[in-house]
Amino acid sequence: MIDLVAQSLFSGVLSGAYYALIALGLALVFGTMRVINLAHGELVLLGAYISYTAEEKLGLDPLASLPLALTLVVATAMAVYYLISLIKTDRELNSLILTFGIGVILTNAVLMIWSADIHSTTTPWYHDATILFDTLFAMQAELVFAALGIVLVGAVWWWLEKSWYGRALRAVASNRDAAKLMGVNPQLTEVLSFAVSGLLATVAGVAIYTAKVIQPSLGHHLTVKAFIITVLAGMGSVPGVLLGAVLLGVVESLTVTLASSALQELAGMVLFLVVLLLMPSGLFGRAKRRG
Amino acid sequence: MSKSTLCVSAVALSLMLGLAPADAAELKIGAEIPLSGNLARVGSAMNEGIQVAAEMFNKKNGKHTVKVLVVDDESSPAKAVGAVEKLAADGVIAYTGGYGSNIIGPASEAAEKLGKVYITSGGVASELTKRGLKTFFRINSSEGYARALMGMFSEVGIKSVAVVYSTKEATEEVAKMLQTGLGAKGVKVTMHAFDPATNDFKPIVHKIKLQDRPEAIAMIGYENDYVGILRAAKVLKPDIKTIAGVWSLATSKMAAEFPDLMENVSGTSTLSYPAVFTTPEAKEFAETYQKMFNKAPDYLGIFGYVQSKLLFDAVARAADAGTIDKGGVASELRKTKTESVIGKVSFDEAGDNPEFTHRMGQHQAGKVELVWPLEAATGKMKYPALPW
Repeated sequence: MIDLVAQSLFSGVLSGAYYALIALGLALVFGTMRVINLAHGELVLLGAYISYTAEEKLGLDPLASLPLALTLVVATAMAVYYLISLIKTDRELNSLILTFGIGVILTNAVLMIWSADIHSTTTPWYHDATILFDTLFAMQAELVFAALGIVLVGAVWWWLEKSWYGRALRAVASNRDAAKLMGVNPQLTEVLSFAVSGLLATVAGVAIYTAKVIQPSLGHHLTVKAFIITVLAGMGSVPGVLLGAVLLGVVESLTVTLASSALQELAGMVLFLVVLLLMPSGLFGRAKRRG
Repeated sequence: MSKSTLCVSAVALSLMLGLAPADAAELKIGAEIPLSGNLARVGSAMNEGIQVAAEMFNKKNGKHTVKVLVVDDESSPAKAVGAVEKLAADGVIAYTGGYGSNIIGPASEAAEKLGKVYITSGGVASELTKRGLKTFFRINSSEGYARALMGMFSEVGIKSVAVVYSTKEATEEVAKMLQTGLGAKGVKVTMHAFDPATNDFKPIVHKIKLQDRPEAIAMIGYENDYVGILRAAKVLKPDIKTIAGVWSLATSKMAAEFPDLMENVSGTSTLSYPAVFTTPEAKEFAETYQKMFNKAPDYLGIFGYVQSKLLFDAVARAADAGTIDKGGVASELRKTKTESVIGKVSFDEAGDNPEFTHRMGQHQAGKVELVWPLEAATGKMKYPALPW
């Protein structure tokens, strides 16, 4: 039983790091622009399919396909931002409708271009087993992208906290007019936010193509998962994304081991509701000041 | 009138009659099918079979032609009902298509209310034929899949099986049939349900490895589930003798896409790969399919073809008898008793095909060999044999 639970915890942590990679881009845009990009999952998916095409047609390793995928996904993210920037009133609500529509268009574009077949990398190395302490099993891809997920969470956190652009981004999120008076260009910082979000979506896409299986309808599920983690984390909290994602991964994994896999999605939603009930601002969210 | 003028007139008249028979008709058939959403791949493959059936019917039947109107149900039950109603408004006589028992259920009920026949091969849940519908027909059923899997396990004398199954209606039903059927034969069966959104199967396979210790794993799910389970099994290497599944597994697509995972894995299959077509009809089907889609047919295309061919023939017979508006299509389908590309087909009162039994194929060196039943086998079953 100890072996089972230990493996379950290990799998949960790996899944969590992978979830964090998916959610980070959404959380960044949500935290800095108050825009819930419902097309984020589709951007992740686009990154995955470009990686697939690069491997299939050019023989590139998924990791080597990152520059190509990055260019196209960031360009698409920029197009999404441009459309959002055209919204003049009630941006929070209208951007929801707009990005939902963009998500549907992207899903169907993926379906038309790449058909509905499932795909995953054919590079066997990524699926070879790694055994730690004789009892913990993982695929190489899971370890690579879990490590990358943790590094990227740290990098984004450092960028937001320590760099000038990161501070500018937070200043715009906090008070757009005041930031303008301090010499910050709000549009430029928002463009930057979307570009970084596109970068994170690309890495997440390559991770999914490498460790899991991709199909055109996956984007919506990814957005839902990313949104749950973003809310769990607390708006704008980057460390919260990692903690929320790992918590979700571990709860799902333990549910499979101790109860049934059929209940894992339910367990994730129960966790989501419990956290919202006890901590309405999320795990790392700031409570609203009164008065 | 001179003799020559009379001759020319007669030839002209006969030609005109030949080109446009008095009672010839273009028969509109509706195809309600998922071309987008999570069932897009299977729906698209089935649609290809439907188009081939129409092409072959129009080429062969000198009297009638069929026109297939396709509406995408977007893998959604509500949209499927809307598609059925839209197609009725467009004047279709009957429906072919449908994928997923949860989608076919409401769609076929809408067709019943409209008094139009609905034929499918995409929903195997037994509930579908227990509703007392007079216009619902299908050429396959859960029992046929479960029978094939149990037949293969019995042949090699498996004593214990871990069944890993998706909680969708059809997969759960096949899993329960396996549990009952294998249990009755004294085989120890352990059940592991998983949510369709599951993408990490290591915790399940680890439980199987450490707690169940079975001789075989049976996977009842879909393509992405099989890949997840096989990858988890390849990492954890449970001490089993064979691993098998049902639909969408023993296919050329899986052999080509996941060669590192598929070796020695078995699944239900109508054909070996590369396919060997023996009957004239099957050969013509394969040639037409290749010509239209520039690829070899897969099992979904074959099922789509068979269900549509049977429907087109029944509609044509009903048109000849002038009974299309009087329930003639359903009556003609009920009279069907034929040897088709997937084996014998007939329909009972509920619209089920009691003759349906699947075959088992095994991935062997990039090919799929039929290994069960023996009379249909194209190769010898490898046992014990695993993908790792």
